[in-house]
Amino acid sequence: MRLEDLSELQLDALREVGNIGAGHAATALSQMMGNPVGLRYPELDLIPFGQVPHVLGGPERLVGAVYSRLLGDIEGGILFMAQRDSSLALCDLMHNRPLGTTKSFGHGEEALITHVASIISSAYIAAIARMADLNVLPSSPSFVLDMSGAILQVATSEVGMRAESALLVRTSFYDEDTSVDAALLFLPDPDSLEVILGRLGVM
Amino acid sequence: MSDAPDTGPVLSADNPNLIEIGVGELAVAQHPKFLMTPALGSCVGVALYDAALKQGGLAHVMLPTPLETRSVGNEWRFASCAIPEMVRLLAERGSPRRRLQAKIAGGSAMFRGDTVLSGVGERNIAETKNQLRLLNIPLLAEDTGERHARTVELHLDTGLFVVRSYLYGIKNL
Repeated sequence: MRLEDLSELQLDALREVGNIGAGHAATALSQMMGNPVGLRYPELDLIPFGQVPHVLGGPERLVGAVYSRLLGDIEGGILFMAQRDSSLALCDLMHNRPLGTTKSFGHGEEALITHVASIISSAYIAAIARMADLNVLPSSPSFVLDMSGAILQVATSEVGMRAESALLVRTSFYDEDTSVDAALLFLPDPDSLEVILGRLGVM
Repeated sequence: MSDAPDTGPVLSADNPNLIEIGVGELAVAQHPKFLMTPALGSCVGVALYDAALKQGGLAHVMLPTPLETRSVGNEWRFASCAIPEMVRLLAERGSPRRRLQAKIAGGSAMFRGDTVLSGVGERNIAETKNQLRLLNIPLLAEDTGERHARTVELHLDTGLFVVRSYLYGIKNL
């Protein structure tokens, strides 16, 4: 099954799974940082690969991204992306300090973003795995700060051979007074998507 | 990225002479056109140039050969299809193969943690060079491998191949 053939009911099922994942991720992030951090997955869109860089401000826009391959019963990948400025703001949000304190990417920032992205991705796929009763594990995450178009092309070079679209989950992190936008791209292989939907009972 | 003064005309999206090539596409054109392809990761940008007619071609290849995939689709995303096709299109426009010169960029391994993904760039470079060798087209310059993304432009007046990246700024090949 291809992503572009999904019905509204099937998208709703994936949305619901996403919301459960967001709840778990927010709890985990708050525990890790010792201050409450909220997480919203406000929208779930199905978009063609070619359009994804435009959502993030064009293919040459500098973004921080974290990729994990999906292992176990399903194949594909999961990619976290945030524009450079949003990534820096996310570091401030996680450290509970004023926005603009983090000004550049060092090893610390890279490690923090990787950690945060890894928690969100893991929570998302754990929610899918539990609801669909599947065994799914993320591979160890790798971080890159570069052009969004190139990152996306590399991450989709495998699933892209057989799929044309990605499930884009727009995510925003927030505390009392700030909110930071990021994107989570769920890139299942078409056969794996069919397995997930079958197990969720919406085939 | 900053624009250095020595790279000739600054290209912008509203330049009517600019031809932008997307992932898995190719194009051939003649001066005063420019060919550009943004954000090469593991993909390779292959430029062929004929100085006599000031014309050339640029391809954005994604994978080495059709053997890599089970699905049919756009065949110009494969190095083994796109490069011979560019040579054919240029020959049709009066540039024989013996006058063509090649410059290539891209093929990086952006996610170092993932061995399968990081191998794609290397194989793209290998197949690109293989095709150029089979067609007997000299490879004048390359900026390949490493871990960063690149945007490339082919200037058809001089054959200048401009490689832009966040890591190194502008390289003129």
